[in-house]
Amino acid sequence: MELLISTMMQGFIYALLSYGVYITYKILDFPDLTVDGSFPLGAAVTAYFMVNGMNPYLTLPLALLAGAVAGLATGLIHVKLGVRDLLAGIITMTALFSINLQVADSNLAIERSIDTIFTAAPTAVLGDLSLTYKKFIISLILALVCKLILDWYLQTKSGLLLRATGDNDTLVTSLAKNKGSVKILGLVIANALAALAGCIVCQEQRAFTSTMGTGQVVFGLATVIIGTTLFRRLSFVKATTAVFFGSILYKICIQLAISMGLPANLLKLAMAVLFLLVLAAGSWKGGAKKHA
Amino acid sequence: MKKFFAVSLAAVMTGALLAGCGSSGSSEIPVIGISQYAQHESLDNCREGFLQGLAESGLVEGEDFVVEYQNAGADDNLNVQIAQSFSAKNVALMCAIATPAATACYAAAEDKDIPVIFTAVTDPVEAKLDSGNITGTSDKLPIAAQLELIRMLQPEAKTIGIIYTSSEPNSVSAIKEYEALAGEYGFTIESVGVTQQSEVVQAADTLIAKNVDCFSNLTDNNVVDVLLSVLEKTNEAGIPVYGSEIEQVKKGCVASAGIEYVSLGVKTGQMAAKILLGEASAADMPYETITEYETYVNADAMAEFGMTLPDEVAAGAIDVSAEAAQ
Amino acid sequence: MLELKNVTKIYNPGTVTEMCLFDHFQLQVKEGEFVSIVGSNGSGKTSLLNIICGSIPIEGGEVLIGGENIAKMKEYQRYRRIGRVYQNPSMGTCPNLTMLENMSLADQKGSFCGLGRGIQKKRIDYYKEQLALLGLGLEDKLHVKVGALSGGQRQAAALVMTTLTPIDFLILDEHTAALDPKTAEIIMELTDRIIKEKHLTAMMVTHNLRYAVEYGSRLLMMDKGGVVLDQSGEEKTHTTVEDILGLFTKISIECGN
Repeated sequence: MELLISTMMQGFIYALLSYGVYITYKILDFPDLTVDGSFPLGAAVTAYFMVNGMNPYLTLPLALLAGAVAGLATGLIHVKLGVRDLLAGIITMTALFSINLQVADSNLAIERSIDTIFTAAPTAVLGDLSLTYKKFIISLILALVCKLILDWYLQTKSGLLLRATGDNDTLVTSLAKNKGSVKILGLVIANALAALAGCIVCQEQRAFTSTMGTGQVVFGLATVIIGTTLFRRLSFVKATTAVFFGSILYKICIQLAISMGLPANLLKLAMAVLFLLVLAAGSWKGGAKKHA
Repeated sequence: MKKFFAVSLAAVMTGALLAGCGSSGSSEIPVIGISQYAQHESLDNCREGFLQGLAESGLVEGEDFVVEYQNAGADDNLNVQIAQSFSAKNVALMCAIATPAATACYAAAEDKDIPVIFTAVTDPVEAKLDSGNITGTSDKLPIAAQLELIRMLQPEAKTIGIIYTSSEPNSVSAIKEYEALAGEYGFTIESVGVTQQSEVVQAADTLIAKNVDCFSNLTDNNVVDVLLSVLEKTNEAGIPVYGSEIEQVKKGCVASAGIEYVSLGVKTGQMAAKILLGEASAADMPYETITEYETYVNADAMAEFGMTLPDEVAAGAIDVSAEAAQ
Repeated sequence: MLELKNVTKIYNPGTVTEMCLFDHFQLQVKEGEFVSIVGSNGSGKTSLLNIICGSIPIEGGEVLIGGENIAKMKEYQRYRRIGRVYQNPSMGTCPNLTMLENMSLADQKGSFCGLGRGIQKKRIDYYKEQLALLGLGLEDKLHVKVGALSGGQRQAAALVMTTLTPIDFLILDEHTAALDPKTAEIIMELTDRIIKEKHLTAMMVTHNLRYAVEYGSRLLMMDKGGVVLDQSGEEKTHTTVEDILGLFTKISIECGN
């Protein structure tokens, strides 16, 4: 039971990253690699300020801001300098690697005497639950709050324009809107979310490591694809909800692979097979319906 | 239909996970969860040594303890989930090999009394792994001894070239120490930082072009993984390379004043045995740094550079050229 | 209303494939005119529209709308006053958004996209009314994703969306070319009706000579970056498809086609 709780907790935290990847990859149709840099950036900023005595709750907006700036950089490089989307992301990601090292060295640990959002005084309202359950509840709240805000945003005028830009940017231009600005906005939101995920992971792990961003884009893409594939036929399920469950399912998949006691060398292969099964099952159902 | 599929898939997976944790919890024999961060010879040696250490202390695997071994393959996400699975299963003891594994295990055990014992952590203080229900062994390099060894083997040498990964904390701290101590032995350090493995061979070219007198290695994963390519370059340029542990000397480095990870692991295993037997607690045991180290030489490699072993070195040195992988 | 002064357009300047399409091209369109433009491929019809909208840069000259030079403006800025319907029906709508979302989006043209609700409930009746004018039943498909509609329905929707907010100038870029003859006929009639009802100034590029003759108040035929025929008013009403076809064939033969 506790294993399920802590695995789901991981899913909740990483759902934030998945929302970000969902915005760039699915809504904007922009393969954004900045995430591999903005995720650890959020963690680096968090670790740095927490070690220097900042209130753990204040690091949340700070990480959001840092991620937003990273997204802004990729956006400006792409839109203003005309660098291709993939390359713009790579440039920012590469730069962020060094910037993260500048902020928090190659790794920075947060001592146990420093309170995180999971242990700070306000968590006392949760009673004497164990830390695992507290982490579960707090990360669930964060993931749900971000989901609701994102859902609300996507229904606003600005959000509608964002969705339209990924769908058909010619139309956006025809509507006298600057599609470049909309793309930048999307990247800002996506990377702010990725950095927030980094911030929470850092507090959960009590450590920043410069390599923690590696593979996060792939993770995000996998969860977005798993989520949207599995829930594609359920029209009442919002895409953000699908991504939320995609993230949890992915973490459960990994945990299953670990729990099955597979030889270490086969773990990645097992993950790939599980991932493939989910995708194949999803598209097989979808295909059958299409041909009918 | 679709809904049914999605829901049932989720249910099956959740069920499997619940079943998974149920079964391991019922085990009577204490479980030792070993989390090894990456697939790597030195780290493998640590693990082997750890098990040897337990055995030497009289504990029998399968009777006194069972081992659950997981390897994250250098994947940070996996690393965290492995630690959490150990914590959720309430294993009797977590053995973390390498710093990232130790950090993750320590975080996963934050409000539990699962002892964490680490090995192959260079700087436990920097990584904040020096207080709490945690202890272990540090693989901090004996840098002064290494410098002394180089001085004896190459009395005329002035500069030492070192390649390191700028994002690897152990390497960065080792470089700092090298720079601080080099002067005492009459050396200057030429270091080149890389960010990824593909840059290592290029960095070797850079150092060769700077006419360094020798190379000295750290336990830097990126460098160690492509050591053979580096050695190819340096051999051609006639520059000897000093290793930092036995495996590197076997691969063709001339010599090393280094730690030997199996014995590091043995020491760790002995500490773990004390904890399992209730003789000591991790919270009370300070972490240990290996103070005795061995001098390893590769006579074949030295001969290629026309180097001879001074008698005072030869006395305590272990020649590994016979075991060298050809 | 619209004026092109000395417009020069060179494709691939400075390369071996350099091609001068327009050399000091001049054109004036008066307020309320509905100009049909015909011409063979490569005659410069679509380039002309792209120059007006700013989709392609020009090497010299001025583009004036209402006396204001817009040649330096960015493409999206120009569309504040211009509406454009494309040949490809999927260019004028967002396939993954619903009809209602598409209409709401079109309704935001010219206003700032803030954090207000994307769909204004009180505008829904107006959208329905506008869609009902098409007579295609789109007013009952507000919650259907536009990608699920037919090409004709999408093009009709695009037309309504383009003219939903006040614009000075409507650009129709072979907007019936991708449709079947019957649907094309319906869309063409709708276009004419909307232009008349909203008193729009319009430019339509078409390959359908009959539409060019039957609709619009002015007819231009273009060839190699120049205007070879310019008829309006009384003169145009007497022109037949055969006349145009004759001239068209003649130009083509001169070109060696």
